[in-house]
Amino acid sequence: MTQPNSVTLNVNGKALTANAAAIDTLLTVLRDQFLLTGAKRGCNQGVCGACTVLADGRPVRSCLSLAFDCDDRRIDTIEGLNDRPIMQALQRAFIAGGAFQCGFCTPAMLVASFALLQSNPHPSEAEIRRALSGNYCRCTGYKKIVEAVFDAAARLPADTAA
Amino acid sequence: MPSSPSLFRPRTLDEALDILAGTPDARPISGGASLVAMMNAGLVEPAALVSLTRIPELSGIRRTADGGIMVGAATRHSAIAADRIFDGTAAVLAHAASQIAGTAVRNMGTIGGAVAHADPGLDFPPALFAVDAHVQLAVKSGRRALPIRDFFVDWYTTALEPGEIVIGFEIPKPKAGAGFYLKHARVAGDFAVVSIALSLADDGEVRVAVGGCGPAPLGSTQADQMLSSGLSAETLRRAGELLTALANPVDDVRGTAEYRKLLIPRMLTRAAREITSARKAVA
Amino acid sequence: MNKPLSFAVGQSAPQIEAQEKVSGSAQYIADLYRPNMLHGALLQSPHAHARIIGYDIAQAAAMPGVHAIVTGDDLQEHWRMGAFIKDEHALAKGKVRYVGEPVAAVAAETEALARAAAAAIEVTYEELPATLSPQEALSLDAAVIHEHAADYIKVFDAGTNANLCSRTSFQEGDIQRGWRESELIFEANYQTQPQAHVSLEPCGAIAEMDANGRVSLWSANQSVFRVQANVAESLGLPMSRLRCLTPKIGAGFGNKMEPHVQPIVVLLAMKAKRPVKLILTREQDFEMVRARHPFQIRMKTGVKRDGTLVAREVEVLLDGGAFGDDSPGVLGYSLLMSCGPYRIPHVHCHGRLAYTNKMRFGAFRGFGVPQVTFAGETQMDEIADALGLDPIEFRLKNLKREGDCWLGGQPIESNGVSECLEKVRAVSGWSSEPRTTRGGESRRALGVACSAHISGLLSTGAIVRLLEDGTILLNTGSVDIGQGSNTILTQICAEALRVPLELISIASPDTDGSPYNWGTTASRVTYMTGTSVIGAAAEVERKIKDQAAEILECAPEDLELVPGGLVAVKGIPQRNVSFATVSGRAHWAAGGPIIGSHSWVFNQKTVDPKRATVVGLPFPQIGAFVFNATAVDVEVDDTTGKCKVLRAWSACDVGRAINPQMVEGQIEGAFVQGLGFALFEEMVWNGAQLINPTLMDYKIPTFMEAPSELKAIIVESHDPRGPYGAKSVGEIGINSVAAAITNAVNAAIGVRVRRLPLTPPRVLEAMLGSETTAGTAQS
Repeated sequence: MTQPNSVTLNVNGKALTANAAAIDTLLTVLRDQFLLTGAKRGCNQGVCGACTVLADGRPVRSCLSLAFDCDDRRIDTIEGLNDRPIMQALQRAFIAGGAFQCGFCTPAMLVASFALLQSNPHPSEAEIRRALSGNYCRCTGYKKIVEAVFDAAARLPADTAA
Repeated sequence: MPSSPSLFRPRTLDEALDILAGTPDARPISGGASLVAMMNAGLVEPAALVSLTRIPELSGIRRTADGGIMVGAATRHSAIAADRIFDGTAAVLAHAASQIAGTAVRNMGTIGGAVAHADPGLDFPPALFAVDAHVQLAVKSGRRALPIRDFFVDWYTTALEPGEIVIGFEIPKPKAGAGFYLKHARVAGDFAVVSIALSLADDGEVRVAVGGCGPAPLGSTQADQMLSSGLSAETLRRAGELLTALANPVDDVRGTAEYRKLLIPRMLTRAAREITSARKAVA
Repeated sequence: MNKPLSFAVGQSAPQIEAQEKVSGSAQYIADLYRPNMLHGALLQSPHAHARIIGYDIAQAAAMPGVHAIVTGDDLQEHWRMGAFIKDEHALAKGKVRYVGEPVAAVAAETEALARAAAAAIEVTYEELPATLSPQEALSLDAAVIHEHAADYIKVFDAGTNANLCSRTSFQEGDIQRGWRESELIFEANYQTQPQAHVSLEPCGAIAEMDANGRVSLWSANQSVFRVQANVAESLGLPMSRLRCLTPKIGAGFGNKMEPHVQPIVVLLAMKAKRPVKLILTREQDFEMVRARHPFQIRMKTGVKRDGTLVAREVEVLLDGGAFGDDSPGVLGYSLLMSCGPYRIPHVHCHGRLAYTNKMRFGAFRGFGVPQVTFAGETQMDEIADALGLDPIEFRLKNLKREGDCWLGGQPIESNGVSECLEKVRAVSGWSSEPRTTRGGESRRALGVACSAHISGLLSTGAIVRLLEDGTILLNTGSVDIGQGSNTILTQICAEALRVPLELISIASPDTDGSPYNWGTTASRVTYMTGTSVIGAAAEVERKIKDQAAEILECAPEDLELVPGGLVAVKGIPQRNVSFATVSGRAHWAAGGPIIGSHSWVFNQKTVDPKRATVVGLPFPQIGAFVFNATAVDVEVDDTTGKCKVLRAWSACDVGRAINPQMVEGQIEGAFVQGLGFALFEEMVWNGAQLINPTLMDYKIPTFMEAPSELKAIIVESHDPRGPYGAKSVGEIGINSVAAAITNAVNAAIGVRVRRLPLTPPRVLEAMLGSETTAGTAQS
């Protein structure tokens, strides 16, 4: 298949089909075709992190992923993670801790934090900073985000499933 | 009317090489971290994209028969950073991988894609110099291997021929010892301004390479020999001078050429201190 | 989620928009769609200065899917906008004045088609000499960038002449006498760099015209009313034909205070007769919106040997870029604040703003004060050093005290500055620990600086409506750009009417329904709009009591509001009626729906003409004063010169913290943004070309650069006029950060660096002794 124009992706556990050109990024397809606008376009260069989604559970830059090359992976976006206990703990902690202001970086920050807590349930503050360092925030100065992730981790029971 | 490139998704290496040989202006893509960024910015408009992500033989890290390490070109930075096979003097490669960009980019970028892009601020090239890697290349008409020192030809230019791709890196059997990658960047995740890749074997053999100071990493067998005779203030000073004389950096937003040259001996000394104190801690 | 609790003033209520933001459902401009929508793209100027000879749009117009093309030819010459000087068209007209300036725009079925068509527009230019520095611009033989500047409407006495955009001067006391009375005089030149806002959300807009010719415009903005005025002026539209609305905003910091693509998008929508959406790329956001002014500063201070400040002269030269925008305000305001929060009897602060062939510089958190504070507060340390005084003691000795006025004569009605400085001294261990240390690979030092700012300016209003069921709708026109103003204003309304937060909704700013509000800028919303909310709520309270008095058969003075939406007879709580009952009666029986409103203009004069002489004052009334002191613990790497802030403490006198957690968030965020300004953020030009308009090449602080210990300290001086005593916090936290960090670095390395940013090369050079410390202002 050399001139594909339709791609089916596993997004949040569902098979979704979109019209796409070869160069369309996952970000473009998620936002414009599937109307999953939680992932944001902050730079389109993979630097700011606002486009972060999970591919097979690991954080990736959707703005640098070709939609077609994602058809063999499970993509999770913020919209699909809202019902997961780890994400809910993070969201509660972010709200209680004032860990966002304008909120533009927040979905990606939560997705990246979710992935961190899945692989490292009790990270230190330094580990949190390092794991999230590819997600930019211009509003908060990062302190309340670190505290919220730390807090969420502390409140999760040891045996919480993701 | 803007046209969209064709997308090829071969399942074998031969299929990929066939397509690359037969399709003008076809670009291979694995992690996409460099190429998609350039396409998004409108800097490159390939007529065709050849995705290498479904070719099993391009991925993976394995031990070779003689104790060396084979790293597939499509292996992700995060896999290299985490793999304990990079032990002893080969630890410099994992240490470099762990300092590339951020978590998400390390999950996507591949060593082959990064090295083929040949940005002078990249972390793998000096580390590959320090482990004396060979680059394995393949084109439809055959395969070849090049010492890494012959791979970087000019600014953003490698020895790749048309239709040729990097398929892997072969690293000679590592020695017992340590490897260290010292990176100076403006902020976390940025490209290196100057970096030092250093390996120190228990038998005293030292290999050093400098990143960010020219179109290719700086390496010198003379500097290596000097340092292998002992990491003293004197040998570090002379090796630093030697490497600085080879340097051909440019001015850019990350730093001036002059600053980079100033940094080479200072960072070399610092890297030597770090690697020796790390070894003492372990011993 | 549990039922929300009631919150009011002083409580750290969560953001009203919290659920939307954490679930990914908050809709920013890029997330919005209109039926039948087209996409816009821009053609930008390749030249820094050139006459536009002609356009050839034939090829572009013939491309499939193209519905409208607009150029300067679609505009009339007199359709110009500008906050202080009306010098700017919606699209370049007649000439281009900076590389990247929008020259033409296309609306097409897809973004890709629009971009391809824009690229196919051919523009013929006649290049003109480009002027790239203020010095060059002000020299006699410089090419004039705005030949008709004399004809431009100006809102103040700007003194515009050739490439001199404006000039301002403040004088108080007698500066010559000041120098004579000084026992020591210090003078040096300082330089600061252009900084980009880098709000995570790039600018964008959607415009749609209805069949009656009325336009609806959604955009990323900090003021729907500035959008309305700018679009109306630049397109010759009556304001009543333009409705401006507000999605969620992904931060601004000043970037979105004045126009970006809104006029262009409206022009496209009107021509195409279909809705048009245009979102800037990150590169375009860098290169064609606005940025922080680079400043060249000469600062001269005279003191007595005992440390008493006697005289100060400040001279500044600003690069304003191609259009005035907020620049005259930045010039004037930075001069007003350039003496810092100190008693200095003899003062002369003056400066000039030049047009150059670069993108416009404009509002950015701090509005010129971070730049002048960098100069002033590092000079203060230099003076303390020379006199053998502790830097904090030296400052405390000279700080403005209770009853003092600011430069110009405006009374300072609440002043927490010495409390700020004393608190950071205590918490940083300033007096107890060694202030500079040397480790194996680095050297380390503490640094301190103080600053001030204002909250206020211009006008605002609020409308409070009691809905039929007794719930409340608050409408203020103030844009929440993430700083939490919606929540703050709701808390203030809740406090005033003694109701739980959840009984109040706040309307989204909409020029059709919202009362005028100048904008979210000048740290003004809590102070100005909060005051209006209290005023409007007071009117609602009166009307509620009038109604309730009739229902309960008593006098209105006998009534009081009871928490929870009730009004009762004082002392007899069981004789009460609910807001719902009152509102029902008002709507259906007598009196009319209960609506309260309030509006005002900040009304304290900046200058008392008996005290100070001012030329070219851009604003006769400015705001109430807020204060800060910042202390930092900075480590300098001996190998590379790279600086790291290990710990930081920032004390801010905000008057009263309506929402303490949000106040902390502002202080922390401002600190880190100031850290970037101090250490590595810099927009770099190579000739006329901005060479780093990307996040690869322009770096902002990440988690790793922010200090792991960052303490925001809230000081409350309870302003007599502010709403519940509140003033502001939006900008005060950034002003002294660069100065504090520079003071620490200078102490650590024993050399004075007088230029920002303190990049590793600059610091290493200073350490190695190869940078001259006399410091000449460079172009």
